[in-house]
Amino acid sequence: MNYNLLAGLISTIIGIIYTIMSITLPNATIGNPIEPKIFPMLLGVGMTICGIILTIMEGRKKTVTKKTKNDQGLSHDTKLIIYTCIVTLAYALLFEPIGYVLSTIAFMSAMLFALNGKEKWKTNIIVSLSFSIGIYFLFLKLLSIPLPMMPFIQI
Amino acid sequence: MDVILQNLMIGFQTAIEPINLMWVTLGGILGTIIGMLPGLGPATGVAVLLPLTYKMGPTGALITMAGVYYGAMYGGSRSSILINTPGDGAAIAATFDGYPMAMKGRAEAALAISGIASFIGGMISTILMIFSATSVAKFALKFGPAEYFLLMLLALAMTSSMNKGNVIRGFISMFIGLMIAMIGLDPQSGLNRFTFGSLELQSGIDFLTVIIGIYALGEVFKCFRDIREGKKKMQTKFGKIWITKEDWRRSWLPILRSTPLGFLIGALPGAGATIASLMAYNNEKQISKNPEEFGKGDIVGLAAPEAANNAASVGALIPMLTLGIPGSGTTAVLMGALLMLGLQPGPLLFQNNPQIAWGLIASMVVGNIILAFVNIPMAGALVRVLAIPPKVLYPIILGLAFIGTYAISNSVSDLYILIIFGVIGFFMEKVKIPSSPMLLGVIVGNTMEISFRQALVLSDGNWGVFVGSPIAVILVIATVISILLPSLKTFIKKKKTVEA
Repeated sequence: MNYNLLAGLISTIIGIIYTIMSITLPNATIGNPIEPKIFPMLLGVGMTICGIILTIMEGRKKTVTKKTKNDQGLSHDTKLIIYTCIVTLAYALLFEPIGYVLSTIAFMSAMLFALNGKEKWKTNIIVSLSFSIGIYFLFLKLLSIPLPMMPFIQI
Repeated sequence: MDVILQNLMIGFQTAIEPINLMWVTLGGILGTIIGMLPGLGPATGVAVLLPLTYKMGPTGALITMAGVYYGAMYGGSRSSILINTPGDGAAIAATFDGYPMAMKGRAEAALAISGIASFIGGMISTILMIFSATSVAKFALKFGPAEYFLLMLLALAMTSSMNKGNVIRGFISMFIGLMIAMIGLDPQSGLNRFTFGSLELQSGIDFLTVIIGIYALGEVFKCFRDIREGKKKMQTKFGKIWITKEDWRRSWLPILRSTPLGFLIGALPGAGATIASLMAYNNEKQISKNPEEFGKGDIVGLAAPEAANNAASVGALIPMLTLGIPGSGTTAVLMGALLMLGLQPGPLLFQNNPQIAWGLIASMVVGNIILAFVNIPMAGALVRVLAIPPKVLYPIILGLAFIGTYAISNSVSDLYILIIFGVIGFFMEKVKIPSSPMLLGVIVGNTMEISFRQALVLSDGNWGVFVGSPIAVILVIATVISILLPSLKTFIKKKKTVEA
């Protein structure tokens, strides 16, 4: 699949949706009623134009060079990124319920075990623990920014 | 003139207070470490370390950030020289001759000259900045809303069209940024725009979240690509880090030549340190009596781009501080830091908060001196960080990005926005859409719209106001030229190749 062509198409669609959304914004009750719409509308139109140009440019390219590499499933880095996204989402979900320290230990170990490998489990655990606890106290004591606490023991 | 010196003295007094000296050193060391990581540069450094400054107060925070900014630049060249991996674009030129020097067993001289050239480049251009900043700010005070809008448009257009791939991608990125800036409550009419009925989006998307998402998450995602590469061999034991008299005799003139060049290019929006350092390198190669030595470890080939790099980074601060218009991704991040502290960069900053404006400039001088001390004699100790596998450091960067985002407004919903922007940043890179125009758009979007609307209100809705004064006309012409120039260049090139 040609990602660049897709980028052009997506830009065009975003541009069109944005323009429609700007036009359908309610009128302002203070001052010129259409004033808050003008600038966003210009942005939407500009984006649409750029999107169309990019689509045409990429569309032409495709006919010239049709030899694209055959993708053999997901590459290693794509897998790693999807994994990171899932782990970070879980981190965000757990952030408040189980507190900063626990959720961060879980997040850091999940990342370190995936990146650094299981063989180096000692390093992974030491880094996860010291990072989480270190940052927690740095923020609490030095910067006096409270972070979500663990349930029950309230640290 | 007296006023400038007086303000500068006050700035220095603030900057050399022990606590501030400590902050600038700490910021410098942490910045150096992040800058040394392959792929991560000053923008990421400032973005990730911002949370440290949330409670410091404006002066301390700015001083720390100045340290991080400088430190990351120094750090970038360390990894260029030692492992042939530039920390960011601006450090690419340092690999050309820096790495060959290290291969020849002259790593010490390479590290030293890079520090010395950066120091001189940074110092001279800070002095140039002291003398040009006020006049630019004074001139900008004459601008009405229409001119100010056009100036922002010009800066955005220049940054977008500087994109190497093609201009259209730069503009798409710019539009995305401006569109994001529109999200939230319209301050003038009280209208909710593009919030999709969500309460969280009413206050808009915090630019800091976008910055951290793109520069911390997005950059780390990009680095995953190279993470499988085996560890690179690196020298870890060093002799005395200094240069010989012969080295100095050959380098001083190129350093002095490249500094003003870097400063000027840096002050132009869009160009920045990467182009400045590459230009300085090519310049010296052309002037050199033995250009064939370039690329094989010629000390001049390292000294010149390093001086230009730092000079450009200082020059880039001028439009940001005096006009409130950042010309690059990195300065956009710094401007984000200023805005977070409640300071609006622009001509009025020098009028209303002279102690802050001059304090920042003074702390850059102090930061530069301290960084030179940290980086030249202690380079051997600092570069050990490069021996820590990035596999361990990247999760730490991610962890810092999360805590930094959460601490902006203690809200978990920002964390989801952070992840979304990290992914957006990665995909943009995949389809070759640059990220800096988008960041500029997010940062200046609201001011730009306000100027646009003010201009129209003042002229009773007459659009002629945008070509209503000589300055406005010049700005419009410059914008059109900057948009058309790249396409014109490729057109001429194509014609030439067809004819030939």
